[in-house]
Amino acid sequence: MLSRRTFLAMAGGAAATSAGVGAAVWAALVRDHVDAALAGASGSVASELPAASGTTGSSGASGASTAGHVLLVLQLGGGNDGLNTLVPAVGRYRDARPKIAIPEAQLVSIDTPGYGLHPALFPLRGRWNAGQIAAFEGIGLRAQTRSHFKAMDTWWAGTDGATSATGWLGRWLDATEGATPNPLRSISLGTGAPALIGERSLPTVVLSPAQFALRLPRTTDAKAVTAAFLATAAPASAAPWQSAAQSAIPSALDAIAVLDRVRLQAAATADDPSASGPTGATGSGAVVRAAADSATSLLQTAAGIIELGIGTRVILVGISGFDTHSDELDRHQDLLADVAQAITAFFDRLQARGKADNVLLVTTSEFGRRVSENASGGTDHGNGGVQFIVGSAVKGRQVVGEPALDRLVDGDVPIGIDTRSLYALGLDWLGGPTDELLGARFDRYGLL
Amino acid sequence: MNDREQIAWLARRAAFGLAPGELDRLAGRGADAYLETLVAPDLHGIAAGGDPWSGLTFSDDPTKRRAEGLALAERWLAHQAGTPRPLVAAMTWFWHDHFAVSYAQVKSTQPFSRYLTLLSKHALGDFRQLVTEISTDAAMLIFLDGTTSTGAAPNENYGRELLELYTIGIGSFTEADVRAAAAALTGWVVRPRDEYSTLFVRSRHNTAAQTLLGKTVTDVATVVDAAVHHDACAPFIAAKIAAWFLGPDYDTGLVAGFAKVFRDNNLALAPLVRAILRAGLDGAGGELVLAPLPWLVAAQKALGVSLDTGTAYRYLTAAGQAPLTPPNVGGWPGPAAWLGSSATATRVSMASALVDLAPATSPVLRAAAAGDLATLASLLGRPAGFTPATRDALAAFGATKPTGKAGAAVTAVALASPDLLLA
Repeated sequence: MLSRRTFLAMAGGAAATSAGVGAAVWAALVRDHVDAALAGASGSVASELPAASGTTGSSGASGASTAGHVLLVLQLGGGNDGLNTLVPAVGRYRDARPKIAIPEAQLVSIDTPGYGLHPALFPLRGRWNAGQIAAFEGIGLRAQTRSHFKAMDTWWAGTDGATSATGWLGRWLDATEGATPNPLRSISLGTGAPALIGERSLPTVVLSPAQFALRLPRTTDAKAVTAAFLATAAPASAAPWQSAAQSAIPSALDAIAVLDRVRLQAAATADDPSASGPTGATGSGAVVRAAADSATSLLQTAAGIIELGIGTRVILVGISGFDTHSDELDRHQDLLADVAQAITAFFDRLQARGKADNVLLVTTSEFGRRVSENASGGTDHGNGGVQFIVGSAVKGRQVVGEPALDRLVDGDVPIGIDTRSLYALGLDWLGGPTDELLGARFDRYGLL
Repeated sequence: MNDREQIAWLARRAAFGLAPGELDRLAGRGADAYLETLVAPDLHGIAAGGDPWSGLTFSDDPTKRRAEGLALAERWLAHQAGTPRPLVAAMTWFWHDHFAVSYAQVKSTQPFSRYLTLLSKHALGDFRQLVTEISTDAAMLIFLDGTTSTGAAPNENYGRELLELYTIGIGSFTEADVRAAAAALTGWVVRPRDEYSTLFVRSRHNTAAQTLLGKTVTDVATVVDAAVHHDACAPFIAAKIAAWFLGPDYDTGLVAGFAKVFRDNNLALAPLVRAILRAGLDGAGGELVLAPLPWLVAAQKALGVSLDTGTAYRYLTAAGQAPLTPPNVGGWPGPAAWLGSSATATRVSMASALVDLAPATSPVLRAAAAGDLATLASLLGRPAGFTPATRDALAAFGATKPTGKAGAAVTAVALASPDLLLA
């Protein structure tokens, strides 16, 4: 159960805090750290943080230093329809979907034979053909089921069946955490934080950056009230949930400071005429306008956090709506258009700041969808799916795996690629120890 | 727990908190009597109160969708704080999380208010009847694609959740059971232009007999019977309600006993809820983190004020619990979500907005201004007092004579403290 898992995580995090330096002192330390990082002109805090330990051997990141690398995980909640995303050029696809197959004439052609992109993904074509995007076909975990919840639990845990109190990224955070837990090392924007849950690391969870601010009582001394809020965090209670609730207060105040800075930075960029320019595949990283909780907007916030250089290594962005049981053509069009714009604008912006080479983006989603359409103009829950890996370090322009439409299992795309191959690439990017964290060695398919 | 602590425990977890003076009134008759009036209001002559939706307009005009949704949410929050039958309201809230349906998909307050009325009608009633009626409820049919599920091409969305989330839980059924349930449930449509009435259309129904959980099923009644009378159902529902009231770390060894009470009473909910709350009074409850909405309702009740509709909606959305719009079919996420940075920051903001609204004559603000932390804690539903960290922080802050309305800043810190987050 999720509640049990999170309980362990929160209790573990709080216990680490109280056993170490005490919540208030810890909070002060973290705040000092943040302030120092934000004040620093170079923004090179990442290099001061403890380097990932025990990385020799299992890291596949070709010897380059991984200390400044950032992993962005874009979670497409609901189960993205892989077949209508990266469309296979085979007749069986069209036969199974008389109403919702993407017409051949509308497909975006790419320099990889056998596939075309959904028309809404047109903005990604340039990066695909430039070799900065690769895809997995028929990817999943054998223990996943057609239940959203079981499938998401399985994906978050990354264990293929074994119950795990921690998420695959939470275990990396635990393994590489410094003596003082820094909640800003991992940030979740939108939904999907469970992958970040560890035994002792404390992720920062922000549902909606646009609405993330603090209002204090009128005509009170803001500093004094804030100090009083912080004071309720110490000394830490022995009761685990009470203690976790105490820890939440300094974490929230830190996160507000960081996102305020991101907003200020965005406003400054918007005012800077030299930064304006067209957006899209060839844009120069101008400020992008989009609905507050769209992938586009959330990835802009993520880019701002990366630019701040406060030692954030993992950012998880969760969006939802991919559970397209009905009216799929219209809904999926909007969702994929947002995803394509999000990824394009994110990398364009980081490229303009010279930070794109430090970032790897991977997508996840709990399952693919059924090959045959249903009577509602949609698709029901399926099995194997499609995921992307994006970045200048990626050996792209290739699809690993296959939809195997001639060998369906129970009407589904069979799983030919283990999700943990995707995770291994992400963990290698962060510096590992990948194989130790995943409990086995998974094929990287030479994608990094 | 002494008697006042037991009453406050029930009020915090099963009654959306306490109004000023309510604890003193209830203490006269004792915790056992309070539990009985909560669980069986009919037997104790407690009137249901008026229809919370009376006077609301249902225009079904897309341009009024948001305003009408806000009005419905406002009525519901006011009802939760003011109803003379607070456990019925608390269980309605539970069922909204259990049979989660989102206004974002239903898009009309007419079927949505009817869905809430259905949940309220059976909140402490007959579970089988509740499942039967929700299976053909217009809002649910829209939300889980029942309206487009036909005999020729059944949509599995509702059939799967009926088994996985609503009755027996994962691990107790197969994919074949999902398909069987989906086929037997086909044929229902919703007519938006006829006040969202529902209709069974025989030509859209799969008439073939299906095998679900070893039973032959052909329609809603037989599907619901197969599910609710399956061995896994009583323990599944008992465990979920127990965790809801006792917290996630309660002794799961109690589930078998709760399930037996549920079964022995032919799946009547009141005896089950009574047994669970009784066990809580006897010490079986663990820590429980309050979600943002019940936290807000309790805070509003204690202060006797309400945020205006738009403000409450904006804050609850920022905290991750937009009223009427659970994030997915599984309802809202577990307790750790309410410890996240968003939820924490928003609680501070809501506490601040509430104390700004409260008059300086409010008993809560007066106690805070006087530095009477024992009374303040009691008025906020914690007659045993604050935890040492919160008490010391409030005492130290109060001693600085904070600027602003007397007692306001201290009350805001108390409301947003870890103590008030835990029920």
